[in-house]
Amino acid sequence: MIRLRPRHVRTRLTFWYVAVLAVLLLIFAAGTVAFFYFSLRNELDASLLQDFETVEGLLEAGPDGMIALRSHHHEDEEEERPRFLEVWSADGRLLYRSANVPSDAFGGFPNTEEGKGELTPVSHALPDGTRLRVVTGRHFFEGGPLLMRLAHSDERLWHELSELLSGIAFGIPLALAVAGFGGYLLARRALAPVDVITRQAARISAERLNERLPLGNPEDELGQLALVLNRSLDRLQAAFDQLRRFTADASHELRTPLTAVRSVGEVALQDQRSPEEYHEAIGSMLEEVDRLTRLVDSLLTLSRADASLMTLHANSILLMELVREAVQLVEVLAEEKKQKLAITGDSATQVPADRLILRQGVINLLHNANKYSPPGATINVRIMRRNGQHVVLEVEDQGPGIPAEYREKIFERFFRTDPARSREQGGAGLGLAIADWAVKAHGGFIELESEEGHGSVFRVVLPASESAGTTKSQGGGQR
Amino acid sequence: MRILVVEDEAKVARALKEGLEREHYEVALARTGEEGFYLANAESFDLVILDLMLPGRDGLEILKTLRKRSVQTPVLVLTARDALSNRVEGLDAGADDYLVKPFAFPELLARLRALLRRGRGESILRFKVADLELDLVTRKVSRGGQALDLTGREFELLEYLLRHQGQIVSREMLAREVWKETARATPLDNVIDVHIARLRRKVDDPFPSKLIHTVRGVGFVLREDT
Repeated sequence: MIRLRPRHVRTRLTFWYVAVLAVLLLIFAAGTVAFFYFSLRNELDASLLQDFETVEGLLEAGPDGMIALRSHHHEDEEEERPRFLEVWSADGRLLYRSANVPSDAFGGFPNTEEGKGELTPVSHALPDGTRLRVVTGRHFFEGGPLLMRLAHSDERLWHELSELLSGIAFGIPLALAVAGFGGYLLARRALAPVDVITRQAARISAERLNERLPLGNPEDELGQLALVLNRSLDRLQAAFDQLRRFTADASHELRTPLTAVRSVGEVALQDQRSPEEYHEAIGSMLEEVDRLTRLVDSLLTLSRADASLMTLHANSILLMELVREAVQLVEVLAEEKKQKLAITGDSATQVPADRLILRQGVINLLHNANKYSPPGATINVRIMRRNGQHVVLEVEDQGPGIPAEYREKIFERFFRTDPARSREQGGAGLGLAIADWAVKAHGGFIELESEEGHGSVFRVVLPASESAGTTKSQGGGQR
Repeated sequence: MRILVVEDEAKVARALKEGLEREHYEVALARTGEEGFYLANAESFDLVILDLMLPGRDGLEILKTLRKRSVQTPVLVLTARDALSNRVEGLDAGADDYLVKPFAFPELLARLRALLRRGRGESILRFKVADLELDLVTRKVSRGGQALDLTGREFELLEYLLRHQGQIVSREMLAREVWKETARATPLDNVIDVHIARLRRKVDDPFPSKLIHTVRGVGFVLREDT
């Protein structure tokens, strides 16, 4: 089967363009031919009727009752339009027949009805193929009615018509060819930027994600297309960069404890040692294994969250209750650093949340505040409502603050403002990433407000319960 | 006490066998699902440790078949898949307990003891190690006749250590059993360490002999120093 849909848009465009044009031209040509034909024929008929009257005047009685035709002055006209004439008497005798009429070419004696009423020309063809217009009429001659049949040749009309038709038959394909070629060129030119975009986009791969498409005119459709594609390339690049960074960081974080395990083990086996030393070495190795285990656990949590395998078991819970639980857990850490944890806010505020997941997020935020605030500092935890639709939980620390360039990245996995000191602090840089995920899983987000040297405020914004604040006792149940 | 260990990973299997034998259990080792199934049917064990990912015959399948044949031996399932659905699946198939790999050996021991003890119903109301005494009824703690003032959390922590006296207790176990937290995260580890430090300050620091010991890389143990 022939493929009916051409591969290229420009070919399709040209095809449709030419097809529509062809239909229009054909309709136009048909109209022209019809108009031409009818106006020529009307002209011919008019002159035929006029000639009929002329011939009536030229009839004269010949000898033996026959009719003769007086010669008339317009010889040249007759040359142009040969005249075919028959005259019959009312009782069916042929009284006159011009020489150019083969016998009975018109069908013999006209029937009696013919020639009554108005004179109406009709088409008729002679045996030799000559097409005629014939008119039949009655004529009263010297007292008696005669039937007179007059015809003019049609051939000139047909000749002119066929010339017109051959002109059209030649002209239309030519016009279509020109239009098609022009249309194709035009379409190709208009679509040329698409080709450029296609080629450029094909060149952009994972390795060359920094390249962008040429914009052309950003106002037109193609410019918009390129703009949109460029934007999604931006996002793709960002995601790729993040993934690449994550992979590099993750392998670093995994390799560090592995290296420690390996070297501690190898060194311990170098020569004979005391049982105490072996104990020490094995213990040290186990510590690193423990670190690895925790790291893998956290990564699994996050990757499961990424893959949306985690299902939230959301209940309406009292946020204050959850915060108090988290604070209770972390409190000892604050006490160790002589820090104060101050909670303020409305204790009736409810949020729809998966208790365990949200609590993990809050604990991580509190732990972060505890880690980075100096001894003796106060960590403020506030619960507020924001314009009825959101519940806000603020954790304000008195840490060193986060430089502006890190604020975007602070929630990324493994990100640390100071890579050197973090391992001593015991974290792998996943705490805030998990907190961020926990909040996002609840349809919220974390805002960060920070000034270097003046501490930071992590602001958890959560959508409020619909029944927030009205049903006080309902929420607290644990799963 | 006879324990059947069905585990295909050679190193893990050997470590389990050795570790359990040190605790004076008698251990039979099966390295494939078929072998494990055959042994569990043919001989009598007090407990089965069953790895879920086995070559040949899947652990879950073995478990289901065993239960169908009404073999009632307690089964502890080991799995590297810790998604909730896997756990539920294991318990549905008739497992008595499960442990996610990589597990801490002390925790495995604790769970074994719990499973073996099951149904025997021993309830202790007073604990005593050396001169340390803890009374669950009056919730009083004393050492050398001198009353110690513990917070609620410290009391629970000490109680747990006493219940497992002489046995190593990992941070995972403390997180789950004392703090009732399912996810073990960094903050919690720090919290546990702080509580242990505080408990030591009250229980050990004022006294010459120490009872709470850190086992590096593993956890803590409460025992009389000899």
